[in-house]
Order: sequence, then C-alpha cells, then structure tokens
Amino acid sequence: METLLGQGRAAIDLIVDAGSFTEGTVGARTFEDPDFGPGAVVGTALLEGETVTVIASDAEAFNEKFPVVYSGIIGLEEGYKMAQAVYATLAADAEKEAAKKRAIVLIVDTPGNGPGKVEEIFGMNKATGAYQLALAEARLAGHPIVAMVVGRAISGAFLCHGLQADRILSLTSEFQTMIHVMPITSVSRIIKKDVELLEELAKANPVFAAGPAFFFKLGGVEQLVETIDGMRPAIAAQIADIRKAKSDAKALTGPRGRGALGAERGGRTVRPTVQALLRTEFAAVEDRFRPQAG
Amino acid sequence: MPNWSRLQTNSFLECNARDRAVGLVDEGSFVELGGPFDRLVSPHLVALGEAVENDDGIVTGVGRIGARPVFVISQEGRFIGGSVGEVGGAKMVGIIDMAIEFNDRLVAEYPDLPASARPLVAISFETGGVRLHEANAGLLAHAEVMDALQRARHKVPVVALIGSRIGCFGGMGFVAAATDAIVMSEFGRLGLTGPEVIEQEMGKDEFDASNRALVYRTTGGRHKYVMGDANFLVDDSVAAFRAQLAELCALPVASFEAMRRIGSPELVEKQLRGVALAAELKPDDARDVWRHAGNNDPVGLADGPLADFRKSVRRLAL
Repeated sequence: METLLGQGRAAIDLIVDAGSFTEGTVGARTFEDPDFGPGAVVGTALLEGETVTVIASDAEAFNEKFPVVYSGIIGLEEGYKMAQAVYATLAADAEKEAAKKRAIVLIVDTPGNGPGKVEEIFGMNKATGAYQLALAEARLAGHPIVAMVVGRAISGAFLCHGLQADRILSLTSEFQTMIHVMPITSVSRIIKKDVELLEELAKANPVFAAGPAFFFKLGGVEQLVETIDGMRPAIAAQIADIRKAKSDAKALTGPRGRGALGAERGGRTVRPTVQALLRTEFAAVEDRFRPQAG
Repeated sequence: MPNWSRLQTNSFLECNARDRAVGLVDEGSFVELGGPFDRLVSPHLVALGEAVENDDGIVTGVGRIGARPVFVISQEGRFIGGSVGEVGGAKMVGIIDMAIEFNDRLVAEYPDLPASARPLVAISFETGGVRLHEANAGLLAHAEVMDALQRARHKVPVVALIGSRIGCFGGMGFVAAATDAIVMSEFGRLGLTGPEVIEQEMGKDEFDASNRALVYRTTGGRHKYVMGDANFLVDDSVAAFRAQLAELCALPVASFEAMRRIGSPELVEKQLRGVALAAELKPDDARDVWRHAGNNDPVGLADGPLADFRKSVRRLAL
C-alpha cells in the first residue's frame, strides 16, 4: 500500500487542483527567505476552483539554524511562520463577509515540536501557542479550516497543527497514518501496565490507543478517507459543510464540535456531564457574584 | 476549608491546589464548583484499575477579589503530576466558558459596569500536560482549552500563576503562554519539553537533566522574567501571588493586551526578533542571553536574593 508519510510536498500536489499551488505567497504577504522556517511550507492554491491557504510540513527540510528541526518537526521559526500565514489569510479577507472568507487547508505530517535547549531558553511554547491562537482566531472569524492527516499527527505537534481546525480528516491506517500522544509500548512503560492489558482495554475504550480509527471513535477525527484520490473531494465537501455550519448558531465545529462528537460516538461521555454540573452549581450561587447594590 | 489568614504566609510552592484556590481570592469568598462531593472521577483511570481523586486533580470554583468575580482553576501536582485528562480538561473549559458567559450577561445588564467588577480567570498551573492514562482524551481537551482562551480575548482577562513543584510543561506550557498575563515565583518553571526529554534528544553533554541549577536557568521564574515571558516575578508566598493578582484585578481587559507574548501579528513579529537573536547567539546556556540583555554578572544575579535580582536585573528588549 502506498503512503504519503514524510512527503508533505507531494501531498499538497495530490490534494489541490493540478499545478495551482504557489509557495510562499499568502494574500499580500510573501515569504522570500528560503532559509526561514524551511520545515513549514505555506502558500496559496485552488481547491475545486476555490482559493485556499495551504500549510504543510516538509520532512525533507533541515533548519540549519535550529538543528532539532528535521523530519517535519515544528521548530521556533516554523511555528511563527505558520502563524504568519494564518494572519496573512485573515488580512487578505478582512473586508469580506464571513461566508466569503477563504478556507485554510492544513496538511498534517509532523512528529513533534522542536525539543531543544535553545528552544526552551527562548520559549518553544510561545511559537506553538502563537500558531494555535492564530488558527482559533481565523476559525472564529469565519475562515473554514480543514486538517488532512496524511502521515504523522503526534501529540503536541498535532495540537499545534491540526487540532484547532473546524474539521479533521485522516487517511486510514493502511496508509501508515499515525495519530497518538505516544505509542502504546511507551505508555505501557510509563504508566506501568502490561501492553497486552492496554491492547485488550483499548478495544472497548479508545482513550490511550494509537491510530486514526481510535481518534474517530473519540470524535477527535470527523472523517476517515480511504483513498488518496478521495482527499480532494472530501476536503471540498467539508469546506462547504463548514460554511453551512458556521452560519447556524447552534452547529458546533472545531474543538467543541469534536467534544460533542466524542459524546455522540461514545468515546468521551463524561465531558458534557461535568460542564453541565458546573453550570448548575454556579447558577445556584451566581447572585453572590453580581454587582452589589449600594 | 483551610484557615485563610494562616494560608497567606504559607509558601505557595508548598500549597496544594485547594489551598492556592482559597488563598488567592478574598477571605471566605471561594465557592468550589465540581468539588470532591460531586465525585467527578476519571472513568478511564477506573477502567485501568488506578486510584482516582474525586476532583480529578483540578480544583475549580469562583471567588471574589474586591468586587471582581474571579473564576479559579488550580491544578494538583500530587495527583498523577497534575496531568490533564477528560474530566480535568472539561472542568477547565467549563470554568473559562462560564466566566465569558457571566461577563456577557453582566455587560448586557450593566453597560457601565467598571472593569473591577467584571469576571477574570486565574489559573494556578501545576502540570506536565496530557495524562498518559487517557492520552487521546487529554490531547483533545488541551485543544478545547486553547479555543476557550481565544474566545476569552478582549472580554475576560486570563492570568496564569506558576510557582508549584511540577512547573508547567507539555501542552499546558503553551496554554500558559496563550494567557494574558503570567505571574511566577523563582521556583516556578515554564516550558514545553521537560528536561528529561531534552537530555534524551540531545545527549547528557548538551543538557544534563539532573543538574537542577541548569534546569532552573533554562525554564525557571528568573529566566522567564528576563525573557519577558513572565510579566511579574513575586515572592514565594500565597500573599505575594494574591497581591499581584489583586493589582491586576483593577485593570480593564484592554490593559492586558500590552502584557501578552503572543496572539497578534505584531507579537509574532516581536517574538521572531527573539528567534533571530537565538540563531545569532546560539546560546549554550541561558546565561548567554542574560549577558546579552545587559547583565554583566549572570551568575551572581542568579544566585543572589530575589529582592536584589528584581532591583538590578536587565530584561531582554526585543
């Protein structure tokens, strides 16, 4: 079976309309320095005729300035570059009504955030946080955001590049896609439980098992895509559906939509109970926290 | 409930999550929501046959500082390292959402309500991020918290308080970075990748995780204050954290924008100047950056009393 793991650039060409990807340009902004955040690929393309911003990782690239960045890792420069691409998208459509704002397509194949000493001295947490806030802002402003997992969607890197999208799609595991915080063998070592036991439990409870199918059950992935050719139409259909959902005040997309989906699919059922309970308890004491007369 | 006055002089570092929650707000004002009697335990720990806590290791509630309703989230490092799973994440998101909704209701009813009477969120972090026992649910919960923080923007200020044993790492490291203002003590630590993982990635020669001083120089409160990541560096007492929080409670939400590190295109440009400096300096040690910021004796500065440090430190200008 074929795989796109480690081939972010090839994945872009397979997803967008043939020959339509212009790297390094988003709205009025151009990214001219080839040595700036080379692990992140940003640009503009057409998807079934519609203009979209594309953000992907290049597993072949190596960041000379920050040697922990290779194999699609998101480093300091990469995180901020991805954030800039989102802000450039917001700026490009600032005058357009919400329904006309262009979509952002995140092509996901990343094994992690830059794990280094220099990264910690300067604050890697800010780079990955900056990108997430930019995506959340764009999503709330009306831009449809779709993440397409084509390879690795690992832990903090997936939080950074993927989990702020309106909807998340993933190629099925036959394509060697990986979605997890940690492989089950590492989880087993750290929490001191036998792998066999964890694998047995995972059949009924998907919360610590690795793979797209488990994330689907948890509501962490909206849709599984079974063929490479199926990606473009699936993403286009999601973009149209997201636009519809955003015009309906009751429809939820993004992390909250996936929260609701987690309950619906039976993977995360206590979350809504907890939040309802907090609301009930606060309602009972709310008066104490209102402006006091006199 | 713990004795409020006695709590004030306690070391913040030594306090458990509930003591911090109670002590940060006005005496007698804290109301716990989703407390132990509600038995909000993690079903996933139950499935694994692990011990549970009835608050899942996160204390949530609401109190007051003066007229201001303060929605509090306080993480308990003594329970599985303060890790966040489905229940704890849902409590965090629920509290932030309720603060935003309450703010919207109050502002609709009282358009002239002064800032000092509008809701604020305070988060006392003590966590390594995702709870591995329910890793996937914890990961999804982190994404919801980030979304909630963006929704709070320009409405409800969110203040991070970091001065507990475990520090604030993993996914919660970027949650803290995404808040409006960060208050740390010198014992607080803030980062993304924990020291052991850096050592594993880079080798012991590059980074020795057992070297406590090195670890603090890289992610500790004094360093984060030099970098501008921590807005305020306070003494290690509940009273000191509370005093700083109370000072912030006087400010309108617009005043918090100037304290942020990230969250706008301009701030991204500013941070990128720091990244360019990192590439140019290639620091072997945080001390190299302190020196660049104009501190001629970084060793003396790191080891001296906190009061002297605050008086004489030069912070990095980007």
